[in-house]
Amino acid sequence: MEEKNYYTIDPEGKLTCMKCGIPLVKGKAKFMYLDNGFPVELPVCPQCGFVYVPEELALGKVASVERALEDK
Amino acid sequence: MMDEQIRIEERGSTHVYRQIKMLSEEELVLRESRCVYEQPAYCVAACPLKLDAKAFMDAAAKDQFDKALQLYEKIAPFPAILAAGCEAPCEHKCKLCELGEGIAVRDVEQAVVRYGKRPTVKGFLRMKKKQTVVLFGSGLLILFLTGELVKKNYPVTVVSEEPDLEQWLRAAVEKAGIPEDAVQHDLALLKKMDLTLRGAELPDAQQIRAAAEEFNAVCVSPALTAGLFPEAAPDQALMYDRDLHIVTGSGESEGGVLAAAEAAKRAALSVDRIVQKLDPSNMRGTEGTSETRLYTNTEKVQPSDRLPHDMADGYSREQAVREAQRCIQCHCDECIKGCAYLQHYKKYPRILTREIYNNVGVIMGDHMMNKPINACSLCGQCTVTCPNGYDMAEICHRARQNMVSTDKMALAPHEFALLDMLFSNREAFLSRTQPGYESCKYVFFPGCQAGAVAPETVRAAWTDLSSRLEGGVALMLGCCGAICDWAGRYELYDTVKEFIDRELEKLGGGTAPVVIAGCPTCMKELKGHEGLEVKGIWDVLLEIGLPEGGQGLDRPVAVHDACGARGDHAAQEAIRTIAGKLGMEITETEYSGDRSPCCGYGGLTAYANKEVAHEMTELCLSRSDAPYITYCMACRDRFAREGRQSRHILELVYGTDAGAPPDISEKRYNRMRLKNDLLKEVWNEEVYEVGPDFDIHYTPEALQLMDQRMILKSDVIDVLKYARESGEAILDQESGLYIARARIGNATFWVKYTQENENTYLVRSAYSHRMNIVTR
Ligand code: SF4
Ligand code: SF4
Ligand code: SF4
Ligand SMILES: [Zn+2]
Repeated sequence: MEEKNYYTIDPEGKLTCMKCGIPLVKGKAKFMYLDNGFPVELPVCPQCGFVYVPEELALGKVASVERALEDK
Repeated sequence: MMDEQIRIEERGSTHVYRQIKMLSEEELVLRESRCVYEQPAYCVAACPLKLDAKAFMDAAAKDQFDKALQLYEKIAPFPAILAAGCEAPCEHKCKLCELGEGIAVRDVEQAVVRYGKRPTVKGFLRMKKKQTVVLFGSGLLILFLTGELVKKNYPVTVVSEEPDLEQWLRAAVEKAGIPEDAVQHDLALLKKMDLTLRGAELPDAQQIRAAAEEFNAVCVSPALTAGLFPEAAPDQALMYDRDLHIVTGSGESEGGVLAAAEAAKRAALSVDRIVQKLDPSNMRGTEGTSETRLYTNTEKVQPSDRLPHDMADGYSREQAVREAQRCIQCHCDECIKGCAYLQHYKKYPRILTREIYNNVGVIMGDHMMNKPINACSLCGQCTVTCPNGYDMAEICHRARQNMVSTDKMALAPHEFALLDMLFSNREAFLSRTQPGYESCKYVFFPGCQAGAVAPETVRAAWTDLSSRLEGGVALMLGCCGAICDWAGRYELYDTVKEFIDRELEKLGGGTAPVVIAGCPTCMKELKGHEGLEVKGIWDVLLEIGLPEGGQGLDRPVAVHDACGARGDHAAQEAIRTIAGKLGMEITETEYSGDRSPCCGYGGLTAYANKEVAHEMTELCLSRSDAPYITYCMACRDRFAREGRQSRHILELVYGTDAGAPPDISEKRYNRMRLKNDLLKEVWNEEVYEVGPDFDIHYTPEALQLMDQRMILKSDVIDVLKYARESGEAILDQESGLYIARARIGNATFWVKYTQENENTYLVRSAYSHRMNIVTR
């Protein structure tokens, strides 16, 4: 069964991993907080696994989910 | 230094389903009952018919006569007769009587009846009840009771000797001296009522006895009852004769118009019970007048008299509006007036307490009240301003402790402050005896915020104390633990307490020295340690005299009393004495002394809820335009941050100026600097400061963002260090920025930067999130 993704960002080749020297690609990642998990698709380095969380995402959606979980 | 092992742990899961009651139900009710916010206004309590006179006056004052009339007709089926004949006991209970003349409630009622309009569009056709009622006779009671029962949708039959409705009504009001226009007004209403009159019929005893077979309830006028059933002894509270099974009264209930109206209400309620074959004494709720415990502050109310009539028959519409405008809408908001937190949430303590109590009891699901629980500054002002001493701080503090104990309290709102406390008691902690002393008689404890905001002042104060007091003055730079106390982290608080006690004992050579506190909150917290003698530096300075060189401000100043000094009149007085000695002229504000509001730092509001904290600061500053003199460094800092000239009294005593308020990184830097400088210069201890082996610069925007987002320079350094070691970073081609990150404690920090060369960074932005990110 297709797992639901809470958020998807495609880097479209505009981000480069400095360690591996290759572009980040859209990859599967997961946010974990207080024992709750949220599958997402974010820019990921296909080699070293660096996952990029953009500023807007961190301050927007991520922050609001955090606040909601903190009140659970 | 505090144990490195101590960690501030994030709770593991949101799926922990534990609950401990924060208060017993009785304790809760006892607390709630102190708040009289919901108590009825004086006029409302005095009305046996339960007219909401306060809402009525409010509508009238706004010239909303139709609305006012609706309220009045709710209690009066024959409004003109009632308004004309009511003795208006409410007028004597009106709060304004204490100052001048009470509101002329009855005159306003008359005007409302005269000028108000009933809604013309008919509402839904209301369903008639199945049970039928018959009323025998005439008189005020029977008239009013008929009105009540028609309103309740009973099919009503009236049997009386008067031939028609007009005669029947006139007979009822005959002795009450009701003016003709009022009679006409209500006669029109009566004629529109859905009822059957069997006129010109003189009821006899047998007919009344037999009526029970045809009707579900039988009502008889007191006059008829007295004539036909001399043995009757109706219960006056129920308006019911148990033996005869009739709703009636004795002659006295025909007293005045108001008495009859009240009796009619009681009788109507009995009818409700009887038609359901219930005992009329069943479930009657509260009837008649009530007691009120309301408190209403009239200090700012100008005494005034009733508006005189200029027409023979009462107020004109405009006059009634003006008279209604004298009504002060009695209510209690003593606590709310002084507290930005209560204003923010627009809730009075009674309801807030209940909601917080329920929130704590939520085992699974959302805790909607966490924000309010963490936004109270625990300052204790409400306990002083409330006429009944309501203690909202206790409620919020207990709720925090409770939720910490059940693992329901999020760490996020308090983590920064708690880590800051650990910083104060680890890296920045200093505890030394005065050079030349093995043990000291005194120890100066300036408090963490003093070192963070005004390190030079701390240094000057300690230098002064240690040069003038006999017996040696040790110095302890650290946090008293108030931060964990406020956060509800009681276990951590105990740890800090033990730690401080241990360190104090070392300084005194076995027993703790006398503590000279530089901060009222530290003073309060330290006084809670067993066997500790604690004084305020302000007291010591008054004992030994102020040092040379102090200089007050040359403008009149306002003193902002610290919430930590609430109830400590000696401290409040001492500050004013010192200010006076420094030549300052003090203007007192309404909320000073024990009534002082919190600056927004207390209770960790500044960390947990910046918005409310800001409103608290604003409220403090709105009291005066003068520069503020404080004796708590947190207050000084928050006021200066809002752009107000504010000085700690010690800055003026020692002629230091802490200047512009520091950002969060500077606050840490200041504490480290103070400690290291003192170690070097006073105790000749060499301090090796190891900074990063690369240069970091920040754009002004980055610094501003970091302060807003509570990101320290040390966090940025850690991220860059990690990036240098691991090589992990990315390049965003569009912006040309490098982006690196590291997980530090319970959060992931991200830094966006450019690099001039291998060892020079320019930070453009930084952000963080608490969620952990993993690949899958
Ligand atoms: S001051 Fe506040 S807490 Fe006290 S009775 Fe009035 S509304 Fe309630
Ligand atoms: S001032 Fe208004 S609300 Fe207060 S008692 Fe008088 S009529 Fe009632
Ligand atoms: S902030 Fe202070 S005055 Fe306001 S509710 Fe809390 S303790 Fe009471
Ligand atoms: Zn890589």
